[in-house]
Amino acid sequence: MANELKFLVVDDFSTMRRIVRNLLKEIGYAEVDEAEDGVAALNKLRNSNFDFVVSDINMPNMNGFQLLQEIKKDEKLKHLPVLMVTAEARKEDIVMAAQQGAAGYIVKPFTKATLEDKVNLILTKLGLKK
Amino acid sequence: MTNSHASHTPPAERSHDVHQRIGLLTRQLHDALSGLGLAEKVKAWAGELPDAKDRLSYIARLTGEAAEKVLNNVDLAKQHQDHIAAETRRIGALIVKDPVAAVAKGHVMNFIHDVEQVTKEVDTNLTNIMMAQDFHDLTGQVIAKVVNLAAGIEAQLVELLVITAPAETADVPADSPPAKAAQEPVLQGPVVKPEGNPDVVKSQSEVDDLLASLGF
Repeated sequence: MANELKFLVVDDFSTMRRIVRNLLKEIGYAEVDEAEDGVAALNKLRNSNFDFVVSDINMPNMNGFQLLQEIKKDEKLKHLPVLMVTAEARKEDIVMAAQQGAAGYIVKPFTKATLEDKVNLILTKLGLKK
Repeated sequence: MTNSHASHTPPAERSHDVHQRIGLLTRQLHDALSGLGLAEKVKAWAGELPDAKDRLSYIARLTGEAAEKVLNNVDLAKQHQDHIAAETRRIGALIVKDPVAAVAKGHVMNFIHDVEQVTKEVDTNLTNIMMAQDFHDLTGQVIAKVVNLAAGIEAQLVELLVITAPAETADVPADSPPAKAAQEPVLQGPVVKPEGNPDVVKSQSEVDDLLASLGF
């Protein structure tokens, strides 16, 4: 069941999108789409079905915090787990992400094991993975 | 001061004269900048330049580490590839010589296990090479900040030129840098110097501890 989940990776750097996409594939999640900022992500989320969002914070047009807020105030999207993967290492940013409803927070640079742990932990909490 | 005057002045007196003139110019520059309200701005640039130096050092460090990581993993992957190539030749020769014995003595099965193990290791090397490319994202954010700083200084210099230029030449181009320089992002991006900064986390475990303290 978990392997059929659809992920959306949001990052303004295409290199990082490819890295996260490939890592998710290695972990066992092959269905992954990409968006280059919050605006593009929101558009995709509203027009297709996703199960999990992995988002950067520092992006043009709409940053990760704004995207998180938009997701959490949208009745159809608010159930979506959002894992922040970002270079923002200030404690106040981590606290803010948690308060706004982020499901997890990873600081770049990160390892494959960290991403795998966080994704699996979140999916287990949501009952989407045993 | 003319050359003929300089040639007739004793060296000690000449040196004193130069120092006096530099002192006078410095005083005049200070007064001019203060009078124009630019002294504070100059002080701000001076404060930002060491930060830019740290950021550039961070970029140099990250790109260096990434290159090192890639080359190390390529070396390991090539060793694995060489090993498999040599083993393939060896097992091929054994099969040609005596296929039944090659299977019966376990040479073929050992080779299969070996290939399985080595391909796993090569896959890890490839993942490491891929992960090393994350420097592009991190340095890209830092480079954007340094470019922003340079644009800010350029804008201030243009402003200084405009203020001090004669009235008839003081036109500011519509697309001059000041408008761009105002776009300082609120987010900080990668922390280039986490040492001694209690407001930032230094590892993923610190992130996890902080979230755990918040009940996550």
